[in-house]
Amino acid sequence: MGQSKLIASTRRKPEKRVRLAKSRPRAVTVVPQLEPGAPSDLDLMQGIQAGDADALSQLYDRYNGILKALILRVIHNEAEADDLLQEIFMEIWNQAKNFSAQKGKPLGWMVTLARRRAIDGLRKKQAYARAEERLQNETEQQPDAWVNNATEEEILLSDTRSLIRKVISSLPPPQQQAIDLAFFKGMSQREIAAKTNTPLGTVKTRLELGLKKIYDGLKEFRDEL
Amino acid sequence: MNFSEFQNQARLYVIGALEPEELEEFENARTKFGKKGEDFITKCYALHEAFALSLRPAKASATIKEKLMSMVKAKKEA
Repeated sequence: MGQSKLIASTRRKPEKRVRLAKSRPRAVTVVPQLEPGAPSDLDLMQGIQAGDADALSQLYDRYNGILKALILRVIHNEAEADDLLQEIFMEIWNQAKNFSAQKGKPLGWMVTLARRRAIDGLRKKQAYARAEERLQNETEQQPDAWVNNATEEEILLSDTRSLIRKVISSLPPPQQQAIDLAFFKGMSQREIAAKTNTPLGTVKTRLELGLKKIYDGLKEFRDEL
Repeated sequence: MNFSEFQNQARLYVIGALEPEELEEFENARTKFGKKGEDFITKCYALHEAFALSLRPAKASATIKEKLMSMVKAKKEA
C-alpha cells in the first residue's frame, strides 16, 4: 500500500482525538477517519451479512493492506499471502453471519480470523520449515523486528501505528520476542521456551508482563479500536 | 484464581498462548467471573487489532480483489 493510501486509511476524526500519556508529543486517535457519509465498518459488516457484495468491496479496500501485512508477517511468502488474503476475505463473506457487534469490532473479528487462517496455513504448508529458517535468520539478525526495522518511512507513520509501535518497543526485547513468537507464529509457551532456550516459567512471565504492559499502554484508546 | 490472575491468563488466552493444562483452570475461572470475565476477554481482543495495526500495511496483488469479487458474484448466482 502506498504511503498516501496508508495515511488516507488511517486519518482520524477530530472528535475522536484522545489524550494520551503526558510524555507523548501530541494527541493520537485510532478510529480510521472516513469520508463524510462513508459507511462505518459496522455498516459494511451488516451489508455483508445482508449479501451486499459492494460492502465487501469497500471493506476490502479499507483493510486489505493491514490484513496482508499480518498474513505476510506469519508466513513470509508474498504469493501465499495473496492467496490467503483472498481466502480470508471469502471467509469474511461466508462467515459474516457469525460476526456479532456485541462481541467486538469488525476489525478485531477480521484480524482474529486472518491470524488463525495464516497460522493454520503456516503449520500445514511444507514451507513451514523454510519460514522457520527465515525466522531464525531474522531472529539472529534482528532480535526484534518491531524495534529494529524502523526506516525513514516510520517518520510518516500513522498516529495509530506509531503509537502502538511505541508501546511495543518500550518492552524489553525478550518480552517482545516472546509475544512476537506467540502472536505471529502461533507458538505455545513450550515451543517458545524450546526455540529461545529459555525456562518455561520465564517465557510465561515475559508473556504476562509484556502483554500487560501493552494492554495498559493502549488503555487510553483501547475502546476506540 | 483471583481476578488479577484471570486477567493475566485472559491476555494469554486471546493470543492462544495458554498451555493445555492452564486452559481448564482458565475456563473454570471464566465461568466463575461470568459477565465481568467475558467483558474483560472482549477487551483483550483489542490486542489483536493493536498487533495488526503495528505492522506497515502491505500491498496486495492487484488481481486479488478481482478474483474475490468474481467468486462472490459466482456464489451469489449459484
